[in-house]
Amino acid sequence: MATDHPTIDDASDDLPLPTTVASGAVAAAVLLPLVWLVRTALDVGLAEAIDISTRPSTVQVLVNSAALVVVVTVASVLIGVPLAYLTVRTDLPFRRGVTVAVSLPLVIPSYIGAFAFVSAFGPQGAFQRLLAPLGVERLPEIYGFVGASLVITLYTYPYVFITTRAALKSLDTTLIDAARTLEHSQWEAFRRVTVPQIKPAVGAGSLLVALYALSDFGTPAIMQFDAFTRVIYVEFTTFGRDVASLLSLQLVAVTLLILGLESHIRGNEPLYAGRQGGRTSGTVRLGKWKYVAMAGCLAISGLALFVPLGILLTWLAQGGAEVGNALAFRPSYALNSVGVSAGAALVATVAGLPVAYLAAKHRSRLTEAFERATYVGYAVPGVVLGLALVYLGTSYAQPIYQTLYLLVAAYVVRFLPQAVGSMRASFLRVNPALPEAARTLGRSSFGAFRAVTLPLIAPGLLGGAALVFLTTMKELPATLLLRPSGFKTLVTHIWTATASGYYGHAAVPALILLGVSALSMLVILSQEGYDVK
Amino acid sequence: MTDHRSSRRRILRLGGAAGLASIAGCNGLLGGGSGSGGNGGGGTGGENVVGQIGSGRSPFGARDISGGVSMAEMPDLSGELTLYSGRGEPLVGQLITFIEDLYPDLTIRPRYNSAAELVNQIETEGSGSPADVFYSVNAGSLGALKDRERTVELPTEVLDMVPDQFHDSDGMWIGTSGRARTIPYNTNELSDSDIPDDIFAFPETEAFRDAIGCAPTYSSFQAFITAMRVLNGEAETRQWLNGMLELGLDTNYADEFLVSQAVADGELRAGFANHYYIQRVLAGRPNAPIATAFTEGDAGAIFNVAGACVLDTAADTDLAANFVRHLLSAEAQDYFARETFEYPLVPGVEPIGRLPTIDELNPPENLDLTQLSDLEGTVDLLRDVGVL
Repeated sequence: MATDHPTIDDASDDLPLPTTVASGAVAAAVLLPLVWLVRTALDVGLAEAIDISTRPSTVQVLVNSAALVVVVTVASVLIGVPLAYLTVRTDLPFRRGVTVAVSLPLVIPSYIGAFAFVSAFGPQGAFQRLLAPLGVERLPEIYGFVGASLVITLYTYPYVFITTRAALKSLDTTLIDAARTLEHSQWEAFRRVTVPQIKPAVGAGSLLVALYALSDFGTPAIMQFDAFTRVIYVEFTTFGRDVASLLSLQLVAVTLLILGLESHIRGNEPLYAGRQGGRTSGTVRLGKWKYVAMAGCLAISGLALFVPLGILLTWLAQGGAEVGNALAFRPSYALNSVGVSAGAALVATVAGLPVAYLAAKHRSRLTEAFERATYVGYAVPGVVLGLALVYLGTSYAQPIYQTLYLLVAAYVVRFLPQAVGSMRASFLRVNPALPEAARTLGRSSFGAFRAVTLPLIAPGLLGGAALVFLTTMKELPATLLLRPSGFKTLVTHIWTATASGYYGHAAVPALILLGVSALSMLVILSQEGYDVK
Repeated sequence: MTDHRSSRRRILRLGGAAGLASIAGCNGLLGGGSGSGGNGGGGTGGENVVGQIGSGRSPFGARDISGGVSMAEMPDLSGELTLYSGRGEPLVGQLITFIEDLYPDLTIRPRYNSAAELVNQIETEGSGSPADVFYSVNAGSLGALKDRERTVELPTEVLDMVPDQFHDSDGMWIGTSGRARTIPYNTNELSDSDIPDDIFAFPETEAFRDAIGCAPTYSSFQAFITAMRVLNGEAETRQWLNGMLELGLDTNYADEFLVSQAVADGELRAGFANHYYIQRVLAGRPNAPIATAFTEGDAGAIFNVAGACVLDTAADTDLAANFVRHLLSAEAQDYFARETFEYPLVPGVEPIGRLPTIDELNPPENLDLTQLSDLEGTVDLLRDVGVL
């Protein structure tokens, strides 16, 4: 069935039927919400649709969004890749500590980061008040393009850092040694040996960053920057649901463009890169550059972590105004957050497994299409996806509408690619000779998978699950639309408090959110590169 | 004008009398009914919050209920009610819980989100919506649901509780509390006499240059511009907006609480905001240099309402309508004055804070609040001139 794909290399033997069906079903389920989007957008009518799409203001925000995506992605690569290289391949001191510190910004929701940066570095913010005795009356503008790019980069570069790190750890360094013996310089060895091997991982991380930047609403709104999501928001708030859907479809089109680009960059990646037993010898010595590198790492993580922590602690110290019981914090909010996030992580792992397996082991146009399909939900703004599921829920699944089942389904649709990406990378690293050997020894194909492949990909499974857990903990817009009435999580509580201006009450749940997320980050870091120790 | 005004005055007087008669009943109800026992006027929150409804302390001093009809004189509520609330839980959650706790057979399932998202949600849910009552921060979103024929008519005994201009002319929604458009200004930079009484004098007021701000995505600002379109026409509104932009209007604020905070911080000299945001800033920072100015008889001084409607998907429309009636009780009206710093709409219940009474306001005459639901035309205009 997969023989008619001319560009595919010889890895595409016949696709295993059950896995293909499962994979296809997952892709279809994830794309289902688009049906609502298309349906609602069709209500606009062609003439108006063209009019809206070609309005100067729409074109302007499209340009703005594109610029934001490009700058944030490039900046994330420029920060994430060197950091990964430093923490894996060099003799940087306190490498474990640095790794944790530069990964942690991922646990901070970007809207909290944005808010903190505005509070701290706004024209008359905390930082200005600190400097006021020195005669500083106004700080340079943090608002706008610069602020939005800065904040999104600071809170998403860890995607590139984490994926690149994993690739570097499983890198077969004997190749680098070989290059060095051939009298390549350090840099040339990096360019000719390391770069091709980590390219897919960098691409995967960049993809998550780019799509995040495209779909993020909170940061551009707080930073007063006109990104795509803001126009969609304005339409929604003026009850132009159909126009908002039309613009969301444009966003999906942009997403497909980015996916195509990434596919192109990914190219013919080496299968089974990093064979088992790759060595990590030959650490690069930094010499006195050590201190510069150290300072760079600390500056980045310091900026990303201490600004929001400082602001949250200020809120905590100020305490809350008297607003009665509504804002009293309850431990159940944290349990709810952890519960739905764990559920989403589990379901995303199970659903993503066949997709990731096929994409890694049986490359064909079909399997690639299934894999790419999982990214679409990630790029649609949460509120759009939320409404699509409101429609599907009330029309076709009334019994599970406003229950935790539909809420978890929403999270899976949104965050599945994080699990798929991580698992796919692990599958790529499993040498097919190993399960084949098990088959020769009389195991069934499932038995061979369980006994040989599964233990090898376990770190990738866990890492992907932890990533889904982490992002679900932070998710807000779909949660607001789809949660059962009265169901509260840490972020809905933070939202409730901040939306009414009671910041003091947002501090405790925000700090708990950061704490729990930091724990799951430790899981991600402890699991990566498990198989190459 | 006098039609509305004089009928309102008449109702004010009648309501006052009814309110006095009801106070005794109200106190009895609160002492025994709520079970919390905390009926003291001096409680400052915490465990006795429910007991505070009906009498309590505001940041501007203690007071008792001043008028209106007590919940004790309203029909009992029983059954299950799903409430989609576009008003925030910190602001109205206490009141909702109080009503629920009052009746042993009543379960209220509140669902809090922004008003616009809830309207979109109700519309998307279609006939499968679990919502019984929609409680909103503005007349616009109530009008939007009316326009989409998702509301049912409220009974006259509910509609008659507020003056005519505060409910929909077809009885599809009713205002529960009021919000005046105001000009917050920084008292270190300006004084009341610096603020023109006429909104159309603003573009020529040099004192505002590069130091006046607004929140163009915020529904109350859009309602203000909609009112200007209705009262003065498209061309004049466009001219006003262009004039404000030339004056350096800062259009980058996400909501009017942030506008008011920026005024109090000195980041702006003045802004456009609903009256209660200024009171909320003052409640947190009593010495903040911010005060309230009003324009007179124009779009800058419109008096909009927060309100409620019963949805066509309501399982029990009587229960839903009677719940809305409870939002107009003496206890609820006093709660709005005290906790959300809004204007009570039931005649006889006075506002709180550094505010004029409702009679002293000068909103434009003959503006039907239902007309404020035409947000799309406003957004097109705002976009066209470059405010959005």
